[in-house]
Amino acid sequence: MKRFFYHLFRLILALIFIYAGAVKMQDVVAFASHVAAYQILPYAMNYLVAATLPYMEFLAGIILLLNARVRPALVVVGSMTLVFMVALISVLLRGLDIDCGCFDPSGGQDVTAGVALLRDVGLMILVLLIWWLRASERKAERGTRDEETYS
Amino acid sequence: MNDLKRIGLEACVLIAFGALFGLTLNYQLVIDAFSGQLAAPQRQSVQESVSVVLPIPVLIDEVQQVIASGGMIVDARSPELYAMGYIAGAVSLPMVEIDTELPAFLVRVAKDQTLIAYCSGFGCPDSFDLGMRLIEAGYQDVRVFEGGYPEWRDAGLPVAGESQ
Repeated sequence: MKRFFYHLFRLILALIFIYAGAVKMQDVVAFASHVAAYQILPYAMNYLVAATLPYMEFLAGIILLLNARVRPALVVVGSMTLVFMVALISVLLRGLDIDCGCFDPSGGQDVTAGVALLRDVGLMILVLLIWWLRASERKAERGTRDEETYS
Repeated sequence: MNDLKRIGLEACVLIAFGALFGLTLNYQLVIDAFSGQLAAPQRQSVQESVSVVLPIPVLIDEVQQVIASGGMIVDARSPELYAMGYIAGAVSLPMVEIDTELPAFLVRVAKDQTLIAYCSGFGCPDSFDLGMRLIEAGYQDVRVFEGGYPEWRDAGLPVAGESQ
């Protein structure tokens, strides 16, 4: 059962990040404008983030999908989600009324910082769950091998 | 511990590959951004093709050129933000008070004057909205500086207001 949920959650997280990366890669400049709206980074840095972040999301999603190097991919996805959460909390504290730009940079979704933060909390829970399920799965596999060795 | 180190190292490699992938495909944009050419190529081409009805987006160096050639810079932000700091020489025409302020502006500023509207940078719609209102009011050369006050200030260009 744990194996089923591990693969299910892994696939969900992988597809979310592949989608998030892919839509932003379509319009990097529009995504840069969303990053700039957070008013955190110096001006040109918004473009650097917009030019690299979607590709990191996409690559991490692909690695998760392939079920190879899952833990490093989870570290990347978890770190990015943590950074997004800090940025969104800062937006809420400063009272900025902006679209989060989390997925569609063309602005078709218009998701507020509060909603995006809740969504990121969900993603973080998913990351931790996958990590835990994978560790449990490995532990069970090792236990079975030991039993076979000593029987 | 070794396991954690390995995971951390692999995560760093993954991030590096992602960044490299992105930079390979977008190096021109990043170079333009860091050299002050912060234009959005796709946006420009879309808006230029319909510039009859939409204000034209301009870059920071074009704003400087327009100021040097006698163009007028118009601040679309609220009077409070304008008072705190604005592009040196810009006049205030707050989008929030446009209905009361526009008639006096129309009397004061000729219709053939080049106008550049700005607000608080990307994500702020007021400069574009003001540009549209100015076009509707009959101004023939209306442009929008999308980078707005933050880009101008961060570039170290002349500003005025209380923060000075």
